[in-house]
Amino acid sequence: MTVPTTAEFRTQLVAWLDENDLTPPPDDHSLDAHQAQHLRVLSALYDADWMRYGWPESVGGLGGPAILRAVVGEEIVGRGLDHPGPYSMLEVLTPTMIDYARPELAAEMVPRLLSGRESWCQGFSEPGSGSDLASLTTRAEQRGDDWVINGQKVWTSFAQYATRCILLTRTGGPDIPNHQAISAFFVDLDTPGITVRPLRTMHDVDEFCEVYFDDVVVPADRMLGKPGDGWQLAMDLLPYERSSCFWQRIAYLYSRFDALIGEVRGLGQSIDVDLGEAYLALHTLRCRSRATQLRLADGHRLGPETSIDKVLLASAEQTLYDTVHDLLPGVIELGETPWRTEYLYSRAASIYGGTAEVQRNIIARRLLDLGKE
Amino acid sequence: MDTDFDSDSLALLEDGLRKTMLSVSGAKLDAALAELGWAEMLSDIPDVAIPLVFRLLGETGSHASVLNDVMLEVIEGVPGGTPPMPYTGGTWVVWERSGEASETTLGGLPLRQVPDGETMRLCEARRALGWWLVGSARAMLTLARQHALDRVQFGKPIAGFQAVRHRLAETLVAIEGAEATLDLPGVANVDLTGLLAKAAAGKAALTAAKHCQQVLGGIGFTAEHELQHHVKRALVLDGLLGSSRELTRKAGSGLRARGSAPRLVNL
Repeated sequence: MTVPTTAEFRTQLVAWLDENDLTPPPDDHSLDAHQAQHLRVLSALYDADWMRYGWPESVGGLGGPAILRAVVGEEIVGRGLDHPGPYSMLEVLTPTMIDYARPELAAEMVPRLLSGRESWCQGFSEPGSGSDLASLTTRAEQRGDDWVINGQKVWTSFAQYATRCILLTRTGGPDIPNHQAISAFFVDLDTPGITVRPLRTMHDVDEFCEVYFDDVVVPADRMLGKPGDGWQLAMDLLPYERSSCFWQRIAYLYSRFDALIGEVRGLGQSIDVDLGEAYLALHTLRCRSRATQLRLADGHRLGPETSIDKVLLASAEQTLYDTVHDLLPGVIELGETPWRTEYLYSRAASIYGGTAEVQRNIIARRLLDLGKE
Repeated sequence: MDTDFDSDSLALLEDGLRKTMLSVSGAKLDAALAELGWAEMLSDIPDVAIPLVFRLLGETGSHASVLNDVMLEVIEGVPGGTPPMPYTGGTWVVWERSGEASETTLGGLPLRQVPDGETMRLCEARRALGWWLVGSARAMLTLARQHALDRVQFGKPIAGFQAVRHRLAETLVAIEGAEATLDLPGVANVDLTGLLAKAAAGKAALTAAKHCQQVLGGIGFTAEHELQHHVKRALVLDGLLGSSRELTRKAGSGLRARGSAPRLVNL
């Protein structure tokens, strides 16, 4: 099978999307409905092969450059066919399986995820370990051929819908440095001892969960990589999160900006500076993200410079929704439109995925070489 | 001249340009650039020459009247002219080839106000100025960074304080973002791409001026310190061909007319 160029690929995909209507059903804005739509879209895309480009043949993919996945994500999320949150999970879960799972396990499991037969989640953050992820305390202890896991995770997105979880645990003792003491597992969430509890958040969407592990027995062949590889696994996700995932989110923000422009364009020139500032922030972000994708495609390793992308994304997202708040007075406060949820969710953009402060610390230390604090 | 540039010859050219700019400025720099082949570079390899020369003008704090040449190249005007350039607030200026500091313009650039001018395409000139502005911003960041490492207060270098680190980090974010907009091959919509790039670069330079001035504290406020030179240059060049704020408003007006946000960048 020959792999088309990026532009050809996009043209063919757009033509296919025009013929195959995947518009979400109207009226139902529940999280359950979002999840059903997410699985429906994945299933259709997988059956038509779009979901398989950019992934290696060893896990059921069709090969080709990773940038093709960014194109699919941009079209799907930018057209409002799926939400960026659940869609972007694919982009961090799949590479982890390819890089760290036993090849047979990856070959068996990845197609289930990409085709929407299953959803998975990522158990990283804990109540006591947010910015300082390496301090996590969920323990895994070896018992014969099994590992026994005890502890608690939080901010685990979409765990209530997930069949499986990529989980970070502590396996090393107090004498082992944090970064070598962490191991990762691929855990079936129907294993006895696991409790999932959705969190109420300020934007009224219960997408984040607490997940409790109480003497949960996991076979040794479900460890991802070797004991102590967990920290590296978490670090290896960053290039994926900060390339294709960001590109999808940017496409989503542009589509929402279009919606805002449509609603306010009758207001006259008094809003031009506000609209222009939001546009400049989005355009700058998109230019930066494009450069990052191209560097990755050229075979460069992405590193601390992607903290700049992350700061630009969080600021652009918050600028956009601040503009929504300013130009649509009363709408967020008094009306039940999607703007309310989106505005509130945007407040978290400088917190999740590494806070704005942590990003600036990385920029200061690694890019400006300012030494230790 | 040879247009097939490899990275070695480019580094050599950059090195030569930087040394020249550090030793002369104004009309003398114009003469030196002419000798180095500026006219040929501009016509044969503008995509290499414009970013390089204008960024280095910013980094070195030197100046030359080369913006005239970029504008004349686009409109195929008579070489050596000084086309009136729009300045923010609805005024016009010319960039005197004599290179002598204007008596009124802040910071020593030879800009003279003129009563009127003709509307012309500004995309290339705006991108050129954008590179100059990010060069100035980089120069300010370099000064502030070194000061943060050298200056000891409360028994340690002030670079150890998070408030200082975050200002410098924020400056780098603004510069890198602006450079990404300048690097974009403006094939889809050259005018809007150039306008946004100038707006981003002006904003980055003003952000750098604010943060670096603060980090440099008292010494950065003295005339003997280099910073004030770059601060004034950033202010003056931000206003030339439209300030960041003015261009941002213009972009917003375009969005209102069009009813959607153009995606100027694709994979």
